[in-house]
Amino acid sequence: MKDRDIDEILRRAADGAPEIDPALLDRVSQSIGSSLRPVRPPPPAWVLRAGLALICGAVAAAGALLLRPYGILKMSGWEIAPIFSVLATLIWIAAVLSVAETIPGSRRPMAPWILLPAGCIGLALVFALLFHDYGTERFVSQGVKCLTAGLALALPASIAAGLVLRRGFAVSPAAAGLAIGTLAGLAGVTMLELHCPNFEAPHVMVWHIAVLATSAAVGALVAWTTGAKRPPHPGL
Amino acid sequence: MGSELDLQGLMARYQQGDRDAATALVHRLSPQLYRFFLVKVVSRRHADDLLQETWMRIHEVRHTYRCGEPVLPWLYAIARHIRVDHYRKAFRSEGREQPLEAGDDIGAPPPGRPAPTADLQALLATLPDSQREVIAMLKVSGMSLEEVARATRSSVGSVKQKAHRAYEKLRKGLAGMGMPNVRGRGIS
Repeated sequence: MKDRDIDEILRRAADGAPEIDPALLDRVSQSIGSSLRPVRPPPPAWVLRAGLALICGAVAAAGALLLRPYGILKMSGWEIAPIFSVLATLIWIAAVLSVAETIPGSRRPMAPWILLPAGCIGLALVFALLFHDYGTERFVSQGVKCLTAGLALALPASIAAGLVLRRGFAVSPAAAGLAIGTLAGLAGVTMLELHCPNFEAPHVMVWHIAVLATSAAVGALVAWTTGAKRPPHPGL
Repeated sequence: MGSELDLQGLMARYQQGDRDAATALVHRLSPQLYRFFLVKVVSRRHADDLLQETWMRIHEVRHTYRCGEPVLPWLYAIARHIRVDHYRKAFRSEGREQPLEAGDDIGAPPPGRPAPTADLQALLATLPDSQREVIAMLKVSGMSLEEVARATRSSVGSVKQKAHRAYEKLRKGLAGMGMPNVRGRGIS
């Protein structure tokens, strides 16, 4: 049996499917018509993406200025270029995914659950290549400070991103939450790279990356919880 | 292509508050949405509910459609979401409800039309959900691979693979029903 034979069987089956009750279609049309008013479509995708990336960068820069940018002042140009190139790329991908997840039927370059491990591995590789101090002095106490500061900054970044995307509709709230949480987490990591002067490899690879992972997980969990509690549409 | 442009024009007018465009969209797109829901072997009553709920959601989020973008992936992404939600709720309440007699309201074909046949229904039912969904969009709704990929939030490669596997299963199933087993070409 060839594919076209199967196509034909499927086509016949589709043609033979039961018809819709015309009264149902009229009821749907009337219901829609009774509450019809003009709506404004969303801005072009590139505007939303650029807006999210700019917000992410601005929040990170503001946070670093507030806490003093000791980290970037201590870095060499050879360290600044790869770290911030990788962060900028990840921020752009997270912005693209955040927009795609809130506009139904959008094209996605990858799934948000792929971006998170890819981002963590990418950052870990860059940090491993650049930082060779393997000391663990005050590993936990300094780490918790960085984690707290990074997450504290991810919160306003996620709120701002949520405001930009507030008119969207997420068909998968958990995926949208994961994408926005990843974006906010990247704002936190960027702030830490600008601010944190601790270049011990274990500190940077564990605690800075933990900001990204925690923010993404919290974003997915919050969105999944609120999405699951969304009331059903009252119907016709 | 022309049909897609018509749909885009209707969507743009619907967003501007044109009642005729809204009615035209409902009448034009509902049959294929209805078939999409029925492919999942749901009863007519459930398909009616899903159709109504889908249109209400589409109406609620119609502002998220971006002019110039293909309409069907946007529409099916929402329909798919409604269907998944519906089954999730049904699964939760399954234990509390008494089932009716089986097959009480599965749509019977109208007089004078070819029957979809119980065998074919059974055959499609043997496919995993994801493959059945892809076949429904590609072959019942006539969407392109790219459109299906957008609607299902996956890649074109993944859609091709699911369609290919579904065809292999359908081919085996049909051969088991006594039809000749000639190896076919790839999914186009």
